Amino acid sequence: MAASISGYTFSSVCFHSANSNSDHEGFLLGEVRQEETVSISDTQISTAELLQVVEIHNHDPCAQLFSFYDYAGKVNEDNLNRILKDRRKSVIGWYRFRRNTQQQMSFREQIIHKQLTQLLGVPDLVFLLFSFISTANSSTHALEYVLFRPNRRYNQRITLTIPNLGNTSQQEYKVSSVPNTSLNYAKVIKEHGAEFFDKDGVMKDIRTIFQVYSALQDKVQAVCGEVEQSERVKEKIQEDVNKLKQQIALRKRKTAEEERRLREAQNAESHPTSEENSEPSETSLLSRVAFHAPSAPERPGTSPNPPSYSDLLSQEDSLLSSSSSPTSAALLPRPQAVGSPGHPTPGPLGMGLDRQAAGQEDDDDDDDDDDDDDEDSSEYENLVSEAAHLPMVSASVLAQGRPAALSPDGDARGSQTS
Amino acid sequence: MNNMSPEVALHRISPELRPLLCSVVRNGRVGLDSTNCLRVTDLKTGCTSLTPGPCCDRFKLHIPYAGETLKWDIIFNARYPELPPDFIFGEDAEFLPEPSELPHLVQWDAGDPECLLQLVKELIQQYHQYQCQRLRESSRLLFEYDSLLEDPNYGRNMEIYAGRKNSWTGEFSARFLLKLPVDFSNIPVYLLKDTALDPGEDVALLSVSFEDAEATQVFPKLYLSPSIEHALGGSSALHIPAFPSGGCLIDYVPQVCQLLTNKVQYVIQGYHKRREYIAAFLSHFGMGVVEYDAEGFTKLTLLLMWKDFCFLVHVDLPLYFPRDQPTLTFQSVYHFTNSGQLYSQVQKSYPYSPRWDGNEMAKRAKAYFKSFIPQFQEGAFANGKL
Repeated sequence: MAASISGYTFSSVCFHSANSNSDHEGFLLGEVRQEETVSISDTQISTAELLQVVEIHNHDPCAQLFSFYDYAGKVNEDNLNRILKDRRKSVIGWYRFRRNTQQQMSFREQIIHKQLTQLLGVPDLVFLLFSFISTANSSTHALEYVLFRPNRRYNQRITLTIPNLGNTSQQEYKVSSVPNTSLNYAKVIKEHGAEFFDKDGVMKDIRTIFQVYSALQDKVQAVCGEVEQSERVKEKIQEDVNKLKQQIALRKRKTAEEERRLREAQNAESHPTSEENSEPSETSLLSRVAFHAPSAPERPGTSPNPPSYSDLLSQEDSLLSSSSSPTSAALLPRPQAVGSPGHPTPGPLGMGLDRQAAGQEDDDDDDDDDDDDDEDSSEYENLVSEAAHLPMVSASVLAQGRPAALSPDGDARGSQTS
Repeated sequence: MNNMSPEVALHRISPELRPLLCSVVRNGRVGLDSTNCLRVTDLKTGCTSLTPGPCCDRFKLHIPYAGETLKWDIIFNARYPELPPDFIFGEDAEFLPEPSELPHLVQWDAGDPECLLQLVKELIQQYHQYQCQRLRESSRLLFEYDSLLEDPNYGRNMEIYAGRKNSWTGEFSARFLLKLPVDFSNIPVYLLKDTALDPGEDVALLSVSFEDAEATQVFPKLYLSPSIEHALGGSSALHIPAFPSGGCLIDYVPQVCQLLTNKVQYVIQGYHKRREYIAAFLSHFGMGVVEYDAEGFTKLTLLLMWKDFCFLVHVDLPLYFPRDQPTLTFQSVYHFTNSGQLYSQVQKSYPYSPRWDGNEMAKRAKAYFKSFIPQFQEGAFANGKL
């Protein structure tokens, strides 16, 4: 059981008591409530703790001793009603103040307490005992207070807390649930309340603020939509840019290829080349490609915007399709490390791809690119038709445009896309 | 705890309450042990500290009960002296008397100086009942109590203190304090007047402590008021028998009572016998009596002459005469010993019988003197110097 008394009630009781020239007594008004704390943890089933909280809101001092009981300690109910009037139902206890005595309930107090418990119908009526001790030379005075619940057999003393009495810099400032019973306060609020409260009893400011909040929310939602749209447009434009770049790279590669073939053809007449040597020449050609087409190896990754997912999708797909039979566009990219058994290494692959003239496009590419703008795909088709005399080249050549693992720079970027 | 003299307490208490405290402190005797008065300590005030004194209105009252001392707080209000007091019963937190059993509380009259004292007496009665209730926790002790209660001699003069249970061992102890119905009124006054303090009522109390509920450890003790103790020959003269194991109070207490009564009878008888003895000697020796103890009849001195030889005879009568033989001391009037004293000889054994009456004793004594004196004379001449 926990008990608390508001600071002003406590000080009021002390004031009344300290100013009396004899023992002093009165009633405590307040409420008792049950607090149930349910604690849930992984290790145990939820346990509920019941705590009875006694809150003292107010007090009703008696004008004199023996005002509601006689010499034998018998409580007179009429007198009791006369003192309490309509506050009788909020009585939760009573108090007594006596100077220089022990902190123990006296004979008469016990008798009265029993009767009050019955008359007021409060089973756990509390008794607050104040004791004022002064030293002989009146230099030190101590006010001691103990809250009893005498109707229990054990644990009769309860700690009484006074909220906000103490070091509030370390403790939170607590707002108590004491209801405001002041008549004056109620009157003023009623008079001036219309300026602050609307018809539902809610403060007007709150409504206004809520309206502002709603407006802001709407705006934010609208902006979100706009942002989304602009993002999409941006994406599309980015795609276009990427495609155009790729086309440029492709064209450049084609021109480079043609030149190389011409040269080879010239060389072939004089020097027969072995296949084994083709590889290094391939790489050297590629490197030349890399050099000559500075923009060609530029992969979408170098652009400030990351490649759109659809781009990546198409590129990965084309890489796969070069090694295997043409598959559907629904193939998802499978991130594979370079040199993994699932797929041939880019080296020979690159070689193979390189054999195939640039510009030839797979059907898959068409399908992939169908996701993109029709304009782009149409351009590809144009490219394809131009270089129709060249052997089939898969879009993996396009992939070559990316500085994959083939890049002589030793760029590790390829591993990202493979 | 300050040992406050009653006068100091009365001085400090609020004037309106003074008469009430006066009767408590000066005349207050409650309970069986009335040799100890009620004591007042820890006088405090319920007024503000700036109130000029004397304004004390609350104090601790020490009440002897069944060998214990109860310390009860009594709380008045100096500003309202007509109101009855409140009590805190110290450690007996469970003692809650019924107000209807306290007529002096219900009809409290602040104008009656005896009111507080009477109220305290009523509370003690209720406390006694409360303790007897607590005896119910032990059937053995309850039996003891009930059996004593039935006997009218003891039942009405009993105080019971049912001790706190020892929470470790679960033991229960109790103390019975009984007033023994022994009549001390016939004890010769001279025996009683020797005490410096006001002797108060002559009373004999038997305290029996039961240290456990099965009555295997029982410690009886006899308390006598100082004058009685002196009259009976001091505390060493009184040895009560040990409590028989398996015995009960209803058998033991009458035993002790009888023992005490016998002793008292002895003392009374002894007194009368001694008086008789002295009277007889007076009549037999007439002019030969030098002096005698006319109050207690314990001493007698004779000056006798035999064949021109004068000598003194001192007779010392013991407390338990005639059971114990009187001591005769012969003293020569002429001879001195080396240390400057008169030569004397003590005779403790001579023909004597406690059954003789005074006259007979006087006659026999005379005969003995005649037979012994020649011996004495020779001894005096031989060993003493003139």
